[in-house]
Amino acid sequence: MPPSRPRPVEPPTEVIPRVEDDYDDEYYDDDEYYDDEPAAKDVPPPDSMARKAVRGVGEALITMGLVVLLFVVYEVYVTDLLSAEKQQDATAALDSEWSSNVVTPPPADPNRKSQLNLIEGKAFAKMYIPVFGNDWKFSVVEGTTDKHLEIGPGHYKDTAQPGEAGNFSIAGHRVGKGAPFNDLDLLQSCNSIVVQTQTQWFVYRVLPMKSEVAGWASNPKSKEAACAGVAPLSTTLGDAYAKTVGQEIVVPTQGEVIAPIPHQVGATVPADKQARLLTLTTCHPRFSDKQRLIVHAIETKSYPVADGFAPPEMTEG
Amino acid sequence: MYGWIWRHLPGPLFLRVVEAVVLVAGIVALLMFVVFPWAEPKLPFNNVTTQ
Repeated sequence: MPPSRPRPVEPPTEVIPRVEDDYDDEYYDDDEYYDDEPAAKDVPPPDSMARKAVRGVGEALITMGLVVLLFVVYEVYVTDLLSAEKQQDATAALDSEWSSNVVTPPPADPNRKSQLNLIEGKAFAKMYIPVFGNDWKFSVVEGTTDKHLEIGPGHYKDTAQPGEAGNFSIAGHRVGKGAPFNDLDLLQSCNSIVVQTQTQWFVYRVLPMKSEVAGWASNPKSKEAACAGVAPLSTTLGDAYAKTVGQEIVVPTQGEVIAPIPHQVGATVPADKQARLLTLTTCHPRFSDKQRLIVHAIETKSYPVADGFAPPEMTEG
Repeated sequence: MYGWIWRHLPGPLFLRVVEAVVLVAGIVALLMFVVFPWAEPKLPFNNVTTQ
């Protein structure tokens, strides 16, 4: 038997102090590799006040940022959902009202007066803009407070009723709350805006834009069928209407845009000499309320409501 | 703040995750249905009428 080789003497395990390395201890905390080490996991020293304060401020800033983002989501999407429900209720109420009380259409009367019984917060008419698509339809409610406009476009109290001489004026949201007037800036001259009451359809068409007024007669557009009955109001109705063009951008204090004759607050023009206008107002630029976007349109046609009848203008996509 | 909340949530990890989700959902709901509707009319975004 060969002599056993002397085995090297195993040195006793030397306990060396833990080496501070560059690694973030916390990062490796759940790494099993280190788990067989004795519980040398030193508890991190308590954070200093300054560290705590900096972290607290940072977290607060991140939280505020998230809240602002959430507000954008609320404003742009959530209010749409809430308003869609209210608009649906208003439309349902209007439909049931229209189907329950039978009213015969009034005879065609050039000086027709208001016949609708408008109740604040209740829908009284439906509005369509065919160029925005078949699905663009809203029930118009009476009143323009925040509460009313949550339901849908709102009719300015004391302005004319649909089809009446004067200025039938409607406000609507551009962003959120159903955003009925989101694309109002895209309306071109002669685009139709159709308003339906219980007894009548009214077709309004956007007036020529400011840039089109001068050359309207020579503009090929003015010969199109859609533009029948549309002409710059200054040429057909005189200077009182010189400022009434298809689209304008004004400051919020310019309430004169919804006057019976826009921009002529004090004008005393007998009602039978006034044009039958429709004015839409919304905020401008989008996401701001610095200014107001205004669209003026003039009534070109009206039809009595009949079962199964829809104005041909409704299909002008 | 978040660390403090996490440390004070009772129960095992799974339960703590559930609790955290419930907390976040509650705060989002509070903002969406109470705080934002209250704050919105006071902010200059969405006035569409002329005066």
